[in-house]
Amino acid sequence: MTVSPPVTVIAIGNPYRRDDGAAAAVLAALRRYFGDDARVRLVELDGESVRLVQAWEGSSTVWIVDAVRSGRPFGSFHEVDPTRLADLDDTGARLGGGHLMGLGEAVELAAALGLMPPSLRVLGVEGESFDNGEGLSASTQQGVAAAADFLVAELIDVLATLVGRDDRR
Amino acid sequence: MTHEHRARRFGVEALTRVEGEGGLIVEVHEGEVVDVQLRIFEPPRFFEGFLVGREYTEPVDITARICGICPVAYQMSACHALEAVCGVEVDRALRELRHLLYCGEWIESHVLHIHLLHAPDFLGYPNGIAMAADHRAELERGLRLKKLGNRIVEVVGGRAVHPVNVRVGGFYRAPSVSAMQELVDELRWAIDAAIDITRWVSTFPMPEHQLPHETVLVSLQHPTEYPILGERLVSTTGLDITADQYLDHFTEEHVEHSTALHGRMLAGGDYLVGPLARFVLNSDRLSPRAAALADEVGLTAAERNPFRSIIVRAIETVHACEVALAIVEGYSVPTRSAVPVTPRAGVGCGWSEAPRGLLWHRYELDGDGRIVHARIVPPTSQNQPCIEHDLAHLIEHSLHLDDQALESLCEQAVRNYDPCISCATHFLDMRIVRS
Repeated sequence: MTVSPPVTVIAIGNPYRRDDGAAAAVLAALRRYFGDDARVRLVELDGESVRLVQAWEGSSTVWIVDAVRSGRPFGSFHEVDPTRLADLDDTGARLGGGHLMGLGEAVELAAALGLMPPSLRVLGVEGESFDNGEGLSASTQQGVAAAADFLVAELIDVLATLVGRDDRR
Repeated sequence: MTHEHRARRFGVEALTRVEGEGGLIVEVHEGEVVDVQLRIFEPPRFFEGFLVGREYTEPVDITARICGICPVAYQMSACHALEAVCGVEVDRALRELRHLLYCGEWIESHVLHIHLLHAPDFLGYPNGIAMAADHRAELERGLRLKKLGNRIVEVVGGRAVHPVNVRVGGFYRAPSVSAMQELVDELRWAIDAAIDITRWVSTFPMPEHQLPHETVLVSLQHPTEYPILGERLVSTTGLDITADQYLDHFTEEHVEHSTALHGRMLAGGDYLVGPLARFVLNSDRLSPRAAALADEVGLTAAERNPFRSIIVRAIETVHACEVALAIVEGYSVPTRSAVPVTPRAGVGCGWSEAPRGLLWHRYELDGDGRIVHARIVPPTSQNQPCIEHDLAHLIEHSLHLDDQALESLCEQAVRNYDPCISCATHFLDMRIVRS
């Protein structure tokens, strides 16, 4: 039986829609640090909700990275409250946009079925262009690099905590 | 009553629980349906143009990105078309692996649609999440089955989403026997689970409705198999053609209200592809337990109620599980993972049955194996005129309902077709965020 790693990082997006490939680029950067680390599972997904829920199964710490469009400066990155993803904004639009059965619904579904991980954090990288085509815009490339640095530091901290726990056993 | 009072216009601005984004506008005047428009908001696909100038090896991976739900369908149809150009036929063992990979996708897609997209309509819930409170065991069973579908795609395709192990001529690497054997116990469970799902959905209250009598049902067909990897196209009007004859009988046209093309038969009229059409034209080719189950729940080749497509999907899931188990149990590592492919100039067409219906590809290559022209006809564009036609028919017989009830019925009816309007993007379109 396969043992799930304690940490899972999921990148959502489509690299053929320009900056929608931001999360995959962050994942590629993480792979350089954690690609051989059995404690970290790196997964690229399209946002379908059930796959999301099943991708984090067994992990205690889960990060989801996605390209976002929130009105903040292009290339910035910020943490998003996962419990707010399925909320409606003032115009009645879903904050989770794009696919309506997406990340927000995945969180709701997981909560309804008792499948939420102990720690679920969502990082949004602000995209500039979601047109058809390959390649990230210059601003998003900067955002990807900064988001990857941030995540590397976060994951190192989490993994250090795991070592601490192991030492206490 | 004034003229205006007799007119009704209603719409569903954003259809939920379909793959992609779309809306529906219906106009009724004096008890007659004047117009039904399934509106597509997504930008036109750029993939056909994007492929031009690329190597013949690339469409398999690139077209998989068109749809997150059915990438295998795009990969298989692309392989078939490109192998037709190059005059290649894969070994039987490799075809079996493709069949297995496709079974995984059918299981995933059908189970997702049944449990989270369509069942809530029949049981009166706004969505699958709300349904979970009262039907947790059924949802958990569905999720376990879907996970098995994912796992099959991962074992054969190398990755659960957008598989990376498929190539023109076969696979980059054949799976190990041990990886395949690990699927056996879960597949045995899955057959029983899918049978239970079929019995469950067959108890759902079904609206009494029939497709318009003029609707032509179209599906692939194989001499002996249920047509996941069918060879010829057949129809309820007696059509029986090869992939390279497709454009002699079918066409696509632009309509103002949609950025997706609309499929038509050149002989006139719209047509239906997908589970109901497949079942009607191929029910005698189902696996033994799936065929017995169809009898048990009263499905016959005369079925024309599109709402009962949810039952057909469940039966097709049983079939896919049975076929997958047979392939896995009989598996040994093939002598080669791919047949050699030498590109050559020419045109080739290929197809397969995506979970939602017929998916046709056509490629023209130059002498260096570069793509000169690409054309892709997905199932939803073929079904769109049929959906509009069917909705008009349904609404005409349901005008006694108030607008809200009629809207709900129409949404449910659209989901009969499991339309994959566009799966090519996912991003968060946020207005409010909290750090």
